[in-house]
Formats: sequence, structure tokens, C-alpha cells
Amino acid sequence: MPDSPRQNRELSDRARQDARDKVSGEGPFTGDIVLPGMLEARLLRSPHAHARIVDIDTSKAEAMDGVRLVATGRDLGPLKRTTYGNWVHDQPVICTDRVRFEGDVVAAVVAVDEVTAFRAMERIHVSYQLLPPVMDIGAALHEDAPAIFDQKHPNVPMKLGRDTRTANEPAKNVLFSYDFEDGDIDAVEAEAAHVFTDRFHFSRIGHFYMEPWICIARQLTDRIELWSCNQDPFVLRQDLSEMFGLPEGYFRVQTAYIGGGFGGKSYCKHEPLAVLLAMLANAPVRLLMTLDESMLTLSQHDGDLVLTTSVDANGRLLSRRTEIDLNGGAYADASAQVGARAAYRSSGPYRWQAYHAHSRVIRTTTIPAGSYRGMGGTQASFASESQIDMIARRIGMDPIDFRRQNLIPAGEPFKVGDSLVDTDFSEGLDRVEADLRHVAGSPDGPVVRGKGYALGLKDGGSFGRLGKATVKITTDGRVLVLCGAIEIGQGATTVITGLVADVLNVPREWVRYAAIDTDVTPFDQGTHASCATTLTGNAVWLAARKLRGEIIDMAAGELGCDATTLDLREWKIIGAGQPLDLEPFVRKKFGRFGFELSADGFVQYPKEPDAPFGAKHLYWMPHWVGVSLSVDRETGEIRIHDLVTGVDAGHTLHGGGVRGQDEGGTIVALAQTLFEEITYDEEDVLAVPTPLDYRVARASDLPEQYRSFILEQGMGPGPMGAKGVGEAGMLGVAAAVANAVEDATGVRLTSLPFTPEKVLAALDAAEE
Amino acid sequence: MSDLIGLRFRLNGIERVAAVAPSMMLAELLREQLGQIDVRVSCDQGVCGVCTVLVEGTPTTSCLTPAFLVANRDVVTVKGLSGDATGLTDVQRAFIECSAFQCGYCTPGMVLSATALLAEHPAPDRQTIRDWLDANVCRCTGYQVIIEAIELAASRRQEQATTRIAEAAD
Repeated sequence: MPDSPRQNRELSDRARQDARDKVSGEGPFTGDIVLPGMLEARLLRSPHAHARIVDIDTSKAEAMDGVRLVATGRDLGPLKRTTYGNWVHDQPVICTDRVRFEGDVVAAVVAVDEVTAFRAMERIHVSYQLLPPVMDIGAALHEDAPAIFDQKHPNVPMKLGRDTRTANEPAKNVLFSYDFEDGDIDAVEAEAAHVFTDRFHFSRIGHFYMEPWICIARQLTDRIELWSCNQDPFVLRQDLSEMFGLPEGYFRVQTAYIGGGFGGKSYCKHEPLAVLLAMLANAPVRLLMTLDESMLTLSQHDGDLVLTTSVDANGRLLSRRTEIDLNGGAYADASAQVGARAAYRSSGPYRWQAYHAHSRVIRTTTIPAGSYRGMGGTQASFASESQIDMIARRIGMDPIDFRRQNLIPAGEPFKVGDSLVDTDFSEGLDRVEADLRHVAGSPDGPVVRGKGYALGLKDGGSFGRLGKATVKITTDGRVLVLCGAIEIGQGATTVITGLVADVLNVPREWVRYAAIDTDVTPFDQGTHASCATTLTGNAVWLAARKLRGEIIDMAAGELGCDATTLDLREWKIIGAGQPLDLEPFVRKKFGRFGFELSADGFVQYPKEPDAPFGAKHLYWMPHWVGVSLSVDRETGEIRIHDLVTGVDAGHTLHGGGVRGQDEGGTIVALAQTLFEEITYDEEDVLAVPTPLDYRVARASDLPEQYRSFILEQGMGPGPMGAKGVGEAGMLGVAAAVANAVEDATGVRLTSLPFTPEKVLAALDAAEE
Repeated sequence: MSDLIGLRFRLNGIERVAAVAPSMMLAELLREQLGQIDVRVSCDQGVCGVCTVLVEGTPTTSCLTPAFLVANRDVVTVKGLSGDATGLTDVQRAFIECSAFQCGYCTPGMVLSATALLAEHPAPDRQTIRDWLDANVCRCTGYQVIIEAIELAASRRQEQATTRIAEAAD
């Protein structure tokens, strides 16, 4: 934002840091970057779910005017490692001998323009020998199922903490397994009054970020420059370094604004291919996908969850066994993390005497699954909060009271060795219960009404991580913040520049967020796990306070007074007679070209082997949901009349940002609950291949009424007790709707999405 | 190049001439040929509304509109909206105040749809706003803040109109 007069304080305080860039269409996004001589790369993808590549004939395409080159699996020479993936490196830069999902990359065309590239792709002839597709978890685990991979891959073992075992590729078509065993569960179950086992099926949705996936690579004499819509520039730099066998500093990664990601733009994707093409073409290459293709890049995990939960005669929860199989799709990506977290998080916000969790990620010949906002917590919360409600009804307790008496209170560890719960879960339950507007309808007639609640939960900020930042102030008092939190829409730059403005006591317009460039940006582990406010925020806060102290100390030294009597305001020293303007002061001290005072901040959270994840989780991220709805027993339609959701921001640093995270996630989750889904048809072909087929929430899909609230419980680890809220919105919605549907109809829905067909089938089944 | 069509139109108030292939879409003309980078494309199939521009004041999906169809017409992109001294329109200011955007990729299209909506319905009810916004997908916000921004802009216009009438009566 330009340095504008304080003509509208209120607006500038409420405005996001990126407001002008975005409402005026300024950007820049990666697609706005144009390099001289830039070529266009487009990808030829497999039309088959599973096939052997017998032959690829690229000669006709290569002979076309305007085609610079066609790359296939035969052209991976410059790569030392030709596959990528988190923990397990199994995804080929370009397929060499086999395709493993509809959309797998078979060839890349580099041409002078997009039209030529598309025409050239039509002239590439690929002969396939079809292999049997493996479209879901059941098919993949069948003893006669074809192996999707014939051998194991280079991998990084996931070492976690106490009572935990993990394995990469432990069995045919199993990518990863996780086991956590806390307490003597057989003994606890033997003493229980009730033991309930329930099964749930979680569906799969796409990220559907509005900015299609894009990357630009340029070969310079002794390095590669890269611009990508990737939220992990340093992680990407490391991947590229390992894959090409070149030093990390060979790669310079820059990041513009990212047009949404929701997990889909994390970790290495097709950047190595863009780099390879730029090397082969010896020219700048832009690899730009359509939105259809972006949907083929990654998805959420669908899965089956089985929970066995025991309670005593007083409605006290005793133990839970969690069994989860997640559909990881064709390649690993970040599936292992999702699998581990889904299992651990399925205990919900409740106290247990024993908790055992086992999860597996299963390979199928479908879109690779990976990070998705909620990261296993969404699947876990759906199953857990559904079953908690079911058990309450079975034992004749009010579902809210049942939750209340089993919650982990604030200040108690989530599990032995893990961090203390930093949220009063019951306060949010009180709030949704009080705020929900529900009118009980007549139980007769086709349309019946019900209400339901849920308390979704995910840990936030991940564990054992670090944050780093530099704050600089120029001679004229304007501020530049350097840190690696990527602005992907979540408002990271607003929170961070706001923190710095408050500490240095300058108008927000004076603080600029530095461009992201791995050459100069302080190292960062990636903008993940709703960590920008807490992790990077703490580093920035530390740097800003250090800088403030240094400025005041410097002034105190020159003035010969006590630093504690001085204050800083709009680049003036206050407290020593007349306000002292710092600009002439700095020039006097450092010369006529002035100076840049700066300070660094660094935070690192330690590893702790006694914690179940090998380090404590940074904070806890609840999502409280209340819903009032009606179910039409003749059409199967669910109508949401009133929706209330809430999050705990700890301490709100930007109200619009917090609200936007909750509501934005909530509406995506509501769409997933009611209709949105990635599906394949009977021929094993993607049934929703384009944005026209794939239905996402639009304005008309909003509930009749929707109110969100923000609690500020002040217990977060971030600045002033702040914590992240970025994934909360995904967590509680599906279970709350399922709970309300049971309240309305007496029938339990356990398989997402709750389409009219499924509602009618469940009602019919209940009548029989 | 006999297959190109000569074209004269107004882009953000300035007369432009271009030569376009019959198959060239308006989005490509604006963005690639004329450097109007605030026109961005997402689905490229007329489904998402990201590439919305105003043609004679009507929200138009530029990725599916052949460029030659805007001959002699008035085309406005988000950068062509005429704002106040700060360069912003009341709609854009309302979007800022309500944090009615996150990633910002759909925002130019949203702002233009909202602008056209208020031109046609100065005091739209919530249903009308929802109906109009159905042409634009936002994956970040959940829409409610966008609806509130439009309501805020509308109510301010009503206030100003009332004030003007009151002043005229004095």
C-alpha cells in the first residue's frame, strides 16, 4: 500500500496489507510475470487409470513449426533422482514405463505459444498396454490386486515419539502405516459398561484453488531462477537440489501472491519438470496448467474410519480404538503425514484412559492425495464427533452435556507428553448452543427439523518447527519485514506487518512486506499447518521488539539518559523533552546516506522424544459448530436454516482475517458435506473432469442464516496469546450436519456426502 | 493476414485498435495482446467468473467471448473503474473494509459483478445479491463477507442520495 495520509484511520486499520493490490487487480500473481523469450510448456497426460507405456512417438510433434522440444521419460538425464514425494519419493517427473492415474504426465511440449503446444500434443502418439485399474481402497487391498508399484522407493523414515511406530511401504499397495498405543486398552474395555463400534466413510474433494497451477523456470549461466505458486519455496529448493544433484543455492525460488492453495500448492509438484524443460530448451519456460489439470495435481484423502469406543455407566469416556484407511491415490505426496495425523487426532478433545490408533494410507490408481486444509483432522473430526453424538443418544444423554463432562480442560496435556490444551472447549460449546436459532418442527409430514452440534479439533502449527525473520527500518522510518510466510490468501502479511507496526509504533502503511526470494528471505520450513501467526509471527515479533530496543538504546546513549524513560512513536523518540526526530539523528550518526537499522528474530521448538509426535504440538485449533436444518423425507434434500460456527483466535490480530478463515473453510466443508465430491464412473474414468462438472459452493449454497464468532481465550503460543485458525473451518461441519439429521429423522448418515440419494437410501433402510 | 479481423473499441475509456483472429477470445486480447493483466483467467470455460469484464456495463465472461464481438463497444476492467481521490470506488472500499477477499484471484471479477449489480439494483436484497454472485466462484471467503461488502456499498449510496435530496430541499 502506498504511504497515504491518515485520511481514513479506520479503513487503514481494518484493511488487509494486500488490500489495494487485490481489489485493484494489481497482483502480481505468478502468471503476471513475463520473461523475454519465454516459451510455453504444456503437459500430455494419460487418459487411462493404469497402463504400461509401450511406445511414444513424438516425431510429428517435434517437426512442427514453433515446437522447441518434446520431453518424455527418456529425457530425464540431467536428474540425479527422477522421483519426488514427501517421505517416499515415488512420483516420476515424467512417467517412464507406466501411468498410474488418469492425468499422469506422459510428455511435455515446449513451444513458442500455447496454441502451438496444444496442437503439438495432438500429434504425439502414445501406445498403451492397459493394466487393471485399482480405483478404491477395497480393490487395492484385495489379495489379487495388481501391485501399483513393483518395488520400494528411496524414502525418509518418519521418526515420531513415544509408543508410536511408522512404516513406509510396509505391504503391497500400502504406502504408509502408523500405530500409536497409549494405555492398556483391553483392560479398560473389559471394565466398560458399553463398547460401541461404528464405521464412517469420508469422501474426497479437490482443492479447486482459483489460480491454476503455474511455474516459470529460467536457466542462467550458473543457476536456475524459478517462480512458482508454491507455498514452500525453501522446501522446494531442497527438493530441486537433491533431484538435480546441484547445491541448494543454485536455485533461486521467488514467490508472488498465490491465488489460493488449501494444501494443494504445498511441497514439490511439477517444478522439477519446469526446471528440466528450461535446461533442455535453454530458455525461460512457463508451465501453466488449466484448472482441470490443477484438479489432477492433488486431492484430499477419502477414507474409511472405524471407531470402537467404550464408556462407563455414568457416561464417562474410557477408551477408543481407531482404525483408518485413507486413499492416497497413485503417489505419496504428503500422504504419510495425513495418515499419522488423522489417527492421532481421532481421539478428539476428550480424556481417555486408553487410546489406540492405527492408520494406513492405501495406494490406488487415482489422483494423488496429499495436504488438504485440515490434514487428517477433517476426516478424524467427522468420525469422532459423529460417534460421540451417537453414543450420547444411545446412552440417553444430551450430546452437549456428554461432551462437556468428557472434555480435556485447558491446561491439561492433550496426551501424556504432548502440549497443554490451550483452549476452553466448553466455552465454545456454550456459545454455539446459545447462538443457534432452531425452531422445532412437527415430527409428522414429509419435512422434519433437527439441530446438531460438533466440536472439530486439529492441532495447529505442527511440531518441532522453527521461524526466522528480519525487520529493517530505513533512515526515513519506513519498515521492511523479511520472513518466509507466504501470502496465499490467509492474511499472513497483514498479521505480520500489523504486529511490526504496533511494536515500532508506526502507521501500518509504513510497514512493507518484502518479496519472497530464497536468496534473501530468512529460511522458512514452509507456510503450513496454520503456523504463520504463531511460528513466523513470534519470530517477527521478537525481531521487531529487538529492533525497538536497539533504537531506544541508541537514542538513550546519544542523549545520555535512561532508556526506560524513552518511547518510540512514528520514528520519533518520546520522553526526552521535545520529540526527537530520528531521521536527522541517524544521518548524524551514520553519515549523509543514512543507515538501515535491523534486527533478527528466531524461534525454534525443541524435539521431545516423550511426546507422541516426538515434539509437542504448537497449539490446539477447535471448531465449534451448531446447525439447524430440515430434511425432506420425500426428496432427500437437506436444507440448512441456521448455521453457527466459531474459532479460538487466542488473541485476534486481524478480525476480518480470522472470520474469513472460519467462514471460508466452513463453506467448503458444507459443500463437501452436501454435494461436492471427486468421483470416478463405472468405466473408472473421472466423472468430474472439468470445473463445469465439478460442483463447488456458490453464493446460493450459503445457509439461510450463518453467523460466525471469534473467541479470544488468550492461551495461544503466538504474540499476545494469538494462535492460528486457518484450518479450523473444515473440521466440525460434516459431523454437526450428520448429528442434526439424526435429530430430525432418527436416521444416522455415516457416508459423505449427504446427497439426496444417500439420505433417501438411509431413510428407506431404516424403515425396513 | 487476411483472416484477421480489424477491431476498434474502448478499453477503460481509451480507444484501442487491434487485429484479432476470429477464434481469439476477449480475455486473450486484453491480457496477452494489450497487457491488461488485471484480467486473469481461471477455468477458461465460462464457469468461474474470474475473467469477468464489463461490456457496455454488462458483466461478461471474457474467456468465452470472441474478441471481435466487442467492436465499437465499451469494455471496462477492474483497473478502469473510476474511483475517488484514492483511486478506489465505493465498491472497492467496501470490499477492503469487509475483508471481502483473501487470495484475491477472483476479486477483480467479483468487484465488477458487484459494480454492475449496484448499477442495476441500487438497493438489492440479499437474494438478488446471491443470484448475481452465483456467476463468480470464490473458494476462500465463503461469500458472506462479499455479500456484506455489497450491502455496505449499497447502503452508503442510499445515505448519500438521501443527503443530497435533503440538501436540495433546504
